[in-house]
Amino acid sequence: MTSRELLLAQDVTASRPGEDGSFVSILQKTTLGVAPGEVLSVAGPSGSGKSTLLRLFNRLLEPDSGQVMLSGKDIKTLPPPVLRAQIPLVAQKPYLFPGTVKDNLLASARLRRVEPPELQSPDIKNLIEMCRVEQSWLDRDARKLSVGQQQRVCLVRALVGPCRALLLDEPTSALDRQTGAMMAQTFKLLAREKGLAIILVTHDLQIAELCADRIALMIGGSVIETGPVAQVLNDPKVKASRQFLSSTVTDNGGVAT
Amino acid sequence: MNPTIIDLSLWDLVTVYSLLLMSIGLAHILRAGQGRDIFWSGLRMFVQLMVVGYLLHLVFALESALPVLLILMVMTGFAVQTIGARVETKMPNFYRVVGAAILFGCGGMTFFFCTLVVGLEPWYDPRYLIPLAGMVIGNSMTGASLAAERLAAEFRERREEIETALCLGSSVKLAAEPAVSSAFRAALIPSVNAMAAMGLVFLPGMMTGQILSGTEPLIAVKYQIAIMCVITGSVALTTFMILRFGYRSYFTSYQSLREH
Repeated sequence: MTSRELLLAQDVTASRPGEDGSFVSILQKTTLGVAPGEVLSVAGPSGSGKSTLLRLFNRLLEPDSGQVMLSGKDIKTLPPPVLRAQIPLVAQKPYLFPGTVKDNLLASARLRRVEPPELQSPDIKNLIEMCRVEQSWLDRDARKLSVGQQQRVCLVRALVGPCRALLLDEPTSALDRQTGAMMAQTFKLLAREKGLAIILVTHDLQIAELCADRIALMIGGSVIETGPVAQVLNDPKVKASRQFLSSTVTDNGGVAT
Repeated sequence: MNPTIIDLSLWDLVTVYSLLLMSIGLAHILRAGQGRDIFWSGLRMFVQLMVVGYLLHLVFALESALPVLLILMVMTGFAVQTIGARVETKMPNFYRVVGAAILFGCGGMTFFFCTLVVGLEPWYDPRYLIPLAGMVIGNSMTGASLAAERLAAEFRERREEIETALCLGSSVKLAAEPAVSSAFRAALIPSVNAMAAMGLVFLPGMMTGQILSGTEPLIAVKYQIAIMCVITGSVALTTFMILRFGYRSYFTSYQSLREH
């Protein structure tokens, strides 16, 4: 790992209590980082620990051992709300607060008890445009939008604030393929234009291929291979990667590679 | 005792118990299968209340603070246990939180009323303290169960909402606010409704009892008004404490939602 990393998980392990009181390991000594302006995709079968790893980055979970760093500093040195405003997580299923789209975009400021931002400022207008949220939606009931539109609003809502990195947990899995592909373009644009470090957890390799710079394959709680997305998908070095990729390719009808 | 009250003889009680026999008969006709329940509940009522009657008789005669306090502690213990049995999804540290809230909420309100308002002499006069504390604890128990149950349900249903708020940089207090206020409302609804319906729908038990035993109706009414205020105050305070300490137990030390 280089010092370029904005966000870095170092030798993190995680477990959860099992039914008989013992602990079931979810993550084994995993190290993974992402640089500003970079989209890192984390892919793997369900139960491989992707979402758990993602939740360590903004301290929704704490690792059993190892540490997570933001700009070289342990994230434990920041109060969790301050940390999370800088590294918001967008979940698989969009959740919008009751009210209009505008209310939702101002929610972050309300929850952090800071002055609400000016939604018509050039910066935020640009952000809204990049995420393909229409100005005409602002006064509409947020929960009456389609799922794809809601997910876009969630994205803008997360970015209206002191955001430096973005955690995305299967953000396209509730969307149809075309809408998902458009979202993927947005992620890439956000990383390039805003210099955000983006970690995208997905089981959809096509989405990863569309927007990621690097990909990390996870199986059974470990990152088994990481590298530039085209190289890992077309020419994996590890046998387990090849097995996972070939099974996924069959699932998707041969579209992944 | 007030000379106007008419004592009931043992024979009188046997006569009213015949009404339970009638209820058992009616249940039998409709094949409700409830006869056994009615019988046992009626029997339990008799035994339990007789024990309480003799106990109070004894405590009244002793004229000492210790047995009164002992009875209040037992009542509190039963209340906490009843809440525990009723609430299915218990928050972490359930008994500690609920026990402390009942003790301070009910204890504080009862003390406030008996000492500062009525001005009991001696302060532990069991004739006032025990029935008043009983009503306060009983109602607070219902409120506390409703609050704890509702809080658990709210945290289950609002998981996404709370986590979304946390992910946007919210403090746990602000993230939990909708769940906590909804639980508070749920707990206070019975007391609020009871106050509004007071005297219209039914004559409350305490007032009826006082009137039966010969108290001037206007005095009985004033006592009823006072006790309703004390009950509402106690429900509010107990619930407030349970929620204030309780919501934190749904979060980890690093301010995220606990896993299920």
